[in-house]
Amino acid sequence: MTEPSSLLTVPRPLTVKKAKAGERIDTSEDSTRLIYWYIACSAFWLFFGTLIGEYLGLKFAWPELDSQSWLSFGRLRPVHTNVVFWGFASTAMIALALYVVPRTSQRELYSYKLGWVSLGLINISVFAGSICLMAGINNGGQEYREFIWPVMALFAAALVITVYNLYKTVALRKLKEIYISNWYILAAFFWTIILVTLAYLPGYQQDGLSQTVVQGYYMHQGVGQWFTPMVLGLTYYFLPKLLNKPIYSYSLGVLAFWTQMIFYTMIGAHHFVFSPIPWWIQTVAIVFSVGMFVPVTAGTANFLLTMKGSWRTIARSYSLPFILVGVLFYATVSYQGTLEAFRSLNKVWHFTNYTIAHSHMSMYGFVSFLIWGGIYGLIPRLTGSEPPQLSVGIHFWLALIGVLLYSFALMIGGTLQGLSWMGDNAFIDSVTLMAPYWVWRAAGGTLMFISHLVFAWNVWKMRPAKQPETKTQAVAA
Amino acid sequence: MKLDFHKNHKLLYGTIFWGFLFLSLIIAVLPALWVQDATKPLEWDEPMTELERRGLEVYISEGCVYCHTQQVRPIKMDEVWGRPSIPADYAYIDRPGIWRQTPAVLGSSRTGPDLSNVGTRQPSAIWQYMHLYNPRSVVEESIMPSFPWLFKVVENPAPGTKVIPIPEDYAPESGKVIPTERAKALVAYLLSLKQAPLAPPSQN
Repeated sequence: MTEPSSLLTVPRPLTVKKAKAGERIDTSEDSTRLIYWYIACSAFWLFFGTLIGEYLGLKFAWPELDSQSWLSFGRLRPVHTNVVFWGFASTAMIALALYVVPRTSQRELYSYKLGWVSLGLINISVFAGSICLMAGINNGGQEYREFIWPVMALFAAALVITVYNLYKTVALRKLKEIYISNWYILAAFFWTIILVTLAYLPGYQQDGLSQTVVQGYYMHQGVGQWFTPMVLGLTYYFLPKLLNKPIYSYSLGVLAFWTQMIFYTMIGAHHFVFSPIPWWIQTVAIVFSVGMFVPVTAGTANFLLTMKGSWRTIARSYSLPFILVGVLFYATVSYQGTLEAFRSLNKVWHFTNYTIAHSHMSMYGFVSFLIWGGIYGLIPRLTGSEPPQLSVGIHFWLALIGVLLYSFALMIGGTLQGLSWMGDNAFIDSVTLMAPYWVWRAAGGTLMFISHLVFAWNVWKMRPAKQPETKTQAVAA
Repeated sequence: MKLDFHKNHKLLYGTIFWGFLFLSLIIAVLPALWVQDATKPLEWDEPMTELERRGLEVYISEGCVYCHTQQVRPIKMDEVWGRPSIPADYAYIDRPGIWRQTPAVLGSSRTGPDLSNVGTRQPSAIWQYMHLYNPRSVVEESIMPSFPWLFKVVENPAPGTKVIPIPEDYAPESGKVIPTERAKALVAYLLSLKQAPLAPPSQN
């Protein structure tokens, strides 16, 4: 008889101990307070926006859940999308940008006051917009353009103020080079300001289908020229910083940047393939969708090659796994988007729930995970308070398993929907066949929602610690 | 001039700003303008009435567009919904006022059926009212929301009031269901959704 292996007898902890966040960064209290408040607001909007998303998901299984006008599906759906877009993701990205831009320009933020003003404007805009939408006041049913212009103007004003603040910071930088992060981050602001302005101006989109031409451009760039360049720019800072090594290739980042600007701008109309808008716009969109292979491959390869050889560091960190997942989703969801634009595949997937899976993989798997990676990478160093590693782990796994469950359920169900339509079945069959997939979607959504409660708890645990001076005084006393 | 994007912030951000604005003009603004100018309604297609226009506003306000499309694509699987949609089908839709933009009716999701021809498919106003009051009263498997706030329940409707017959299982405990003005407008709009023929109807 042999003794049991000594390896087996060693008590194994449930979780692996992760590395500490490291030294607290020497930064002004103004900066910490401002950034922390942005993050706290974004955590609230994430909670609120996904509470509504969760509720909407349940309505697919129980359509008679309530009979209040302001809780009905048609009114709440835009509340969900707009709150997570403008309330959660945008606020969180701006928070991280308010750190990254000054840091890589080696100077303080130009004005903290302007930072507070724009936070206030964003919150008022998202709050007022949600109330309007629940009251049935929307801009016309165009996705992500549902806030009426007086409400969206507040959000746009916040963008203008913030980009002014960041531009001044870069212009007064204390080194010659403009770091690649600041290309992406400031570009995202400039592009989105143009985008929102053109999406709301009257004149060329008054009658008939003209607003649909603008809508294709707007709804696509809303994701691709705001969220994408923002999180990519932030990742160009956080990934090398957290790995403590330079980015693999600076030039790949530059190539991805310019190709993103040129190709991405042209592809909005792929949301309207086979629609009655001019055929040539649709074809241009499909061609440039293929062109997106260039920036996506360049960006993903750059990040993965930076990670190469540092897998152990990633495993030992509690923020880097979020970034790894985000990068993998970035590649997956972008290639998937190109496939969806092909007319042959568009036939099967367009109008089905497959689209909903795609949008969650991009806004959640890609954008939100990169945001969380940045938050967990930065905030503890800024505030001096670490979140409990166990609850960061719970956040990570619930969010990841949740979004995978959610997306696979809707990708499978959506494909079956499309095939059902192509098979000339009664329309109602495509509704009844979805029932089990909608239940799986609700299950995935529930995991995601719970992870956001854990995230909010972690944000609370990361609240600024007392400044070191006070600590020394306490010890001295 | 040297193209030192990584050192000259004015050059970098200027290119970013003006470059994107230029691309936006050629891919969005100018095509939109062109579509707007080129789109004329079919001469024999009746313009929308005031009531139907108000119905379209209810349609947008309640978010019907999130589950219903109004576009028939030129592919075989869409033949069941009608002929392929053309820009002229949407020519009567315009901006409702200063606060809101021209509504979008094309839609992006078919959780429910396409409505391009719902006025032909379900021409009964009573069916439309019952369906809006509770979709399951006419289609058992439907997951569409009920819209009870578009109706009133009254004990003794005045003579001549339109009373909606609701099956017992779905009817309120007591009283009669009558449509509000918003419901009437919405149903008028839905019944007006009929694709106009591509060629003028013959005169006789």
